Amino acid sequence: MRPFLTILFTLASLSLAHAHAFLDHADPKVGSTVVHSPSVVKIWFTMEVQSTLTKIQVFDAAGHEVDKNDATVDPANKVLMAVSVPKLPSGMYKVIWHAVCPWGHHTTGDFTFNVAGP
Amino acid sequence: MKKIIQAAALICATVVLTAPASLRAHGLEGDRFFPPTPLTDDPFAVDELSLPEVEYNPASASHEVDITGSFTKEIFPKFALSIQDTYINLNPKGGPAQDGWSPLDFSAKYQLWEVPEHEFILSIGSDFTLGGTGSKALPSYQYYTTYTPSLYLGKGFNELPDSLKFFRPLAITTVTGYDLFSNAAASNALEWSGSLQYSIPYLQEHVEDAGIPRPFRDMIPLVEFQMTTPTNKDAVPTTGTINPGILWEGKYCQISAEVSIPINSRSGPAVGGLIQVQIFIDDLFPKVFGHPIFGSDDNNNDSNSGK
Repeated sequence: MRPFLTILFTLASLSLAHAHAFLDHADPKVGSTVVHSPSVVKIWFTMEVQSTLTKIQVFDAAGHEVDKNDATVDPANKVLMAVSVPKLPSGMYKVIWHAVCPWGHHTTGDFTFNVAGP
Repeated sequence: MKKIIQAAALICATVVLTAPASLRAHGLEGDRFFPPTPLTDDPFAVDELSLPEVEYNPASASHEVDITGSFTKEIFPKFALSIQDTYINLNPKGGPAQDGWSPLDFSAKYQLWEVPEHEFILSIGSDFTLGGTGSKALPSYQYYTTYTPSLYLGKGFNELPDSLKFFRPLAITTVTGYDLFSNAAASNALEWSGSLQYSIPYLQEHVEDAGIPRPFRDMIPLVEFQMTTPTNKDAVPTTGTINPGILWEGKYCQISAEVSIPINSRSGPAVGGLIQVQIFIDDLFPKVFGHPIFGSDDNNNDSNSGK
């Protein structure tokens, strides 16, 4: 049994590269209501992502893409990606992200936020 | 044995409290991550390593401790084979201790139908428990083989309206199988199990960032049940357990702890418990695992919604 536990502890302690990127947190926050339109939508992933294959898109309630199609990964912090948006009128917005980790594994997800003010 | 359980619990606690952000592998359907749970086999045919699952019932007459290991490998896209075995330790009151291996268990599974936007998956498969492969010293020794064709289902609650958005992190998984024995004298039985899960990661990532800190934001409270209903004419009533518990998703492993409550006196004399550690081998060794041996697969382990 001791070798069993040793293996388990070793595996749990290893700092190996891992394979899937998920959303850690975002700005605006997932499901939040903001008073004023944000100028950018930011997502922090749980691991570094490939800048050329990872993207973020923002859609309005009618399903029209409203972002400026300029999503980029921060070169100084490769877990962070941001996309610019114009001044958004009040309403519900959906963010769809598609991340590719350095190992090539894809993950996608979505969330909404609300702009309350004009 | 008690020291082993205590050591395992200590390691689990250390891992939970010191590990950074979680990282989920496999089991994705739409935005939903269906974690492997201790009693209800998840519907995904993907690479998995469960090592070990420790089940302990301190109040049972036999003081049984089961230590199970299982390994699943995706062979073709959406089709996987697995092997499992359990080391059983019995310490009956007033009797000699008995140790040994359970019969070898093989299984095959295929993901038949998936609807990512509805977080729905249906799979089919079968277990084969090989008779004569376990320890003859154990009372549960079987010389005959058991075949259990099974149906696996997973469904998330993502379609709930905004007024019920805090219920969207809920999901269910079920497995329904029928035991067929190579020995005609054995009693056939319906095996049915399931889980109801509330995913805090799903709440944080897809519904509302409630600011829940780690390690709690990586936890999934759940209730599982596991039942056996013999189907022969003179069959005994259904036996089984209801298992409330919690599951924590780590970076390279997942740890589950559940209390096991028997539904009647035939199911056990008292409350027990289990701990399972699931190793995410495709995250630990992404170049080796997380892909089928033959063909390419870009759905199970990787992308989900495809929206």
